Amino acid sequence: MNSNRGNGEERLDALFRAYRDACPDPEPSANFMPNVWARIESRQNFTFSFRRMANALVTAAVALSIALSVYMAIPHSNPNYYSQSYIEALAEANPLEAPDSVGPVHLELTDPGR
Amino acid sequence: MLVDFQLIERAQKGDSAAFNEIVLVYRKRILGTITRLIARPEDVEDVAQEVFVRLYFSLDQLRAAEVFEPWLHRLTTNAAYDYLRKQRRRQEFRMSDLSEQQVVMADAMAGGKVEHDQLHNKKIREAVDSLLGAVSEADRVLLLQKEVEGLSLKELEKIYKVNENALKVRLFRARQRVLKAFGEREKREGPG
Repeated sequence: MNSNRGNGEERLDALFRAYRDACPDPEPSANFMPNVWARIESRQNFTFSFRRMANALVTAAVALSIALSVYMAIPHSNPNYYSQSYIEALAEANPLEAPDSVGPVHLELTDPGR
Repeated sequence: MLVDFQLIERAQKGDSAAFNEIVLVYRKRILGTITRLIARPEDVEDVAQEVFVRLYFSLDQLRAAEVFEPWLHRLTTNAAYDYLRKQRRRQEFRMSDLSEQQVVMADAMAGGKVEHDQLHNKKIREAVDSLLGAVSEADRVLLLQKEVEGLSLKELEKIYKVNENALKVRLFRARQRVLKAFGEREKREGPG
């Protein structure tokens, strides 16, 4: 069993050696170098246009942020609104003439037993 | 090292002539390695070119010129592995396509007459290719680097960046699987 296994190992090693000999280093074709440079250039162009697009997006985002910050920084409030206190604003919204909201409350105390 | 450190450093600084020289020096070796790793002669140049393109764009990440060769080997391994992974996805289509292409190539090479040596080599390539079907693409590449390319465990350690013991275990298991497939094949077809 072990010797069979040993033989198998040896034959497998021999097969690997034969495989090494059956696959010698091939000669590169004449187009090998031009193709390498063409691929490099095409990838560089892609990277360049991608970077340009990313830069444009970043610039647009920065410009938009600045514009929004400026817009938020400019006060857009009604000056009267903040010159009043809360009580004053409440009083203005509910004038004294409105009896429902400011009149005295009349409680009728009835004795349910009587 | 087939090139001196200065040449690598020049290429790292963006010197195209230096990079060109590196490719010229290493291309045959890389083509040979890829030939044995992927066993598809018609795609070898394509994968080798991809290796050099990756090298061009990653040279600036190389920390020391001394480790250039393991680095290049790593790029080659990764490119071969990526190719094999893609191959598996379209395996059925490729298998029928390939057998036809190989016949056409063999015919063209021998002018219509397939010579004995070529046929013998083709049989060996097919046998090893089929045996290595018993392991994953990653193990196939690892096993071939050890058994066929003759890389030492130390060299493989540098390429894979894992410790020697882990590599030994992986290699042992992969070899056992291939050995089992080899035994079954011999039983079916007889030794030799």
